[in-house]
Amino acid sequence: MLSKNKSSDSLTKSKVTECVWKKAFSSSTEWPDKEEFLDVIYWMRQAIGIALGLCWGILPLKGFIGLLLFVIVNAAVIYFYVNNFQSVDEEEFGGMWEITKEGFMTSFAGFLVTWIIMYTGLHGSNIL
Amino acid sequence: MWGDSLLIVFISICTAFLGEGLTWILVYRTEKYQKLKVEVERQSKKLEKRKEAHGDSLDKQHKKKIEREEERLKNNNRDLSLVKMKSMFAIGFAFTALLSMFNSIFDGRVVAKLPFYPISWIQGLSHRNLPGDDYTDCSFIFLYILCTMSIRQNIQKLLGFAPSRAASKQGGALFAAPPAQFK
Repeated sequence: MLSKNKSSDSLTKSKVTECVWKKAFSSSTEWPDKEEFLDVIYWMRQAIGIALGLCWGILPLKGFIGLLLFVIVNAAVIYFYVNNFQSVDEEEFGGMWEITKEGFMTSFAGFLVTWIIMYTGLHGSNIL
Repeated sequence: MWGDSLLIVFISICTAFLGEGLTWILVYRTEKYQKLKVEVERQSKKLEKRKEAHGDSLDKQHKKKIEREEERLKNNNRDLSLVKMKSMFAIGFAFTALLSMFNSIFDGRVVAKLPFYPISWIQGLSHRNLPGDDYTDCSFIFLYILCTMSIRQNIQKLLGFAPSRAASKQGGALFAAPPAQFK
């Protein structure tokens, strides 16, 4: 009985995840659950952070300009996604600032880790 | 050097899982915690909705109701942090010991090269116990802190142990000054 419940639970969970993926990638979707939308923003931020970290490390971008570009690109992508792609009313989520803040520090830390590691691996030995 | 940095990432993934696992054993799986968590989340959402609906109204009855609910939420939040606290202390001690062990292993070793020049108040951390004046050399502790910042929180969120936004928002608001309308 318990295992049946568990398996149906995991089935509904996977269905929900699938549904969220679909909603995240189709434009102007309705988001009745605010948490769901903020979660999408959160995970998107993490992915952007890691992707930018990889790019900046491979290029390699160095110095303050790398950090500044990360902040600009990260904020711009989220701003574009929220306003132009999903066209949600930002006031519903506590304003643009709340959305801009969502998961920023974690994404920044993830970005720094990937940037530093890629840079060290690909270009660090040339400097030493 | 690359091996060291990857090893640090691996270490922080392991310690994050270990930390969450220990917290699960000591806190998350207990009935008391689960009950309190559900209660706090339910109350936070209710309070948020109520505030949204009656935020601007000056109706005394609503104000009183909101204040009463805030008080109840505050008590539940305090109980929740008390449940967490004991195990947090235990885990904190264990992790301090682990950290000092790793610190001594990586003592004086440059584990990575920073692609930027750190500002002065970070240099103390990023250049801790390292020889030389090249501040783009990165110490173990700096990379470890960064890894933990990103990995731990993501793991918490993936496993569903992170507190909900409504709860943390209300929890944060409880420690801040009360809004003008409720004064």
